[in-house]
Amino acid sequence: MLPRSEPLRVAIPGIGVDADIVPVATDSNGALEVPPLEHPEIAGWYRRGPTPGEAGNAVLVGHVDSLRGPAVFFDLGRLRPGDTVEVTRADGRVAVFTVDGVGAYPKERFPTERVYGGGAEARLRLITCGGRFDPRTGSYPDNIVVFATAAR
Amino acid sequence: MKAKTVLGSAAVGVGLGTLLLPAAALADTTVSPATTPVGGTVVLTTTCNPKAGDALFRVTGPNRDQNVRSTTAAAGGGLSAELFTAGFTLGTYTVTATCGDGSNGGTATFTVTPIGGAQAGAGGRDGDTGVLAAGGALAAAAVAGGTYVLVRRRRRATTVA
Repeated sequence: MLPRSEPLRVAIPGIGVDADIVPVATDSNGALEVPPLEHPEIAGWYRRGPTPGEAGNAVLVGHVDSLRGPAVFFDLGRLRPGDTVEVTRADGRVAVFTVDGVGAYPKERFPTERVYGGGAEARLRLITCGGRFDPRTGSYPDNIVVFATAAR
Repeated sequence: MKAKTVLGSAAVGVGLGTLLLPAAALADTTVSPATTPVGGTVVLTTTCNPKAGDALFRVTGPNRDQNVRSTTAAAGGGLSAELFTAGFTLGTYTVTATCGDGSNGGTATFTVTPIGGAQAGAGGRDGDTGVLAAGGALAAAAVAGGTYVLVRRRRRATTVA
């Protein structure tokens, strides 16, 4: 278990991710913010929650794609239990997580408790979009969520 | 959804045995659900004895310090109140209950979270993601990952025009 320290970078060797992180909160509708589409290569960290490595559920969010093509979390859904996620923090420490599972959820049935719920253990949740893009609404119907726990 | 419960200093009394007044010392508070999207309603419940009068829930957190009076006798005994979280800043809140007779009614926490999922995509060039995820199909899609990449490329070739 680590003390609070903001995350700076996330590396997921299994799917070739090595990205900068910016803090995010929510938009005016109360939905989780995602880093600006002009920077689809950057991941966001939900700053109202724990930092990665701290007790509780830390949440990272990233685009699956932009108008130009694949974005930072394009391959998130390919992660499998046992895969590794490494988060480098401002204090120089690296919080290492092991993937427990991956799920796809319609946005109206987002698993709020499992994502933000938390507990005594240091856990990580990675979120991106999924499903088939709806050009009429301009959005994806689902969220892909990766559940991970700090490696021991 | 499981409510988080923290027995306050009352729990110490149990450990010390029966010298303390057990009935008054055992009151505890729960919040259900323990996690709510902002704007949702949570129910605060304490096991205070209703005969002692209304309980008072003090809710403290990121942008708030307010008191909520119990309005309802809870089904299993005790007292409860509903709390509407519109306008709450995201984060974790602590609820401390005081029973009508002034005794400790216990403490619990709940978390106000963003609403729903994230709008984390723009449709790319062809409007399909690396995961054609329809619930349990996720695993199958990943197993067939290699094949899917080919399909994706082909589709992209036909739709980007």
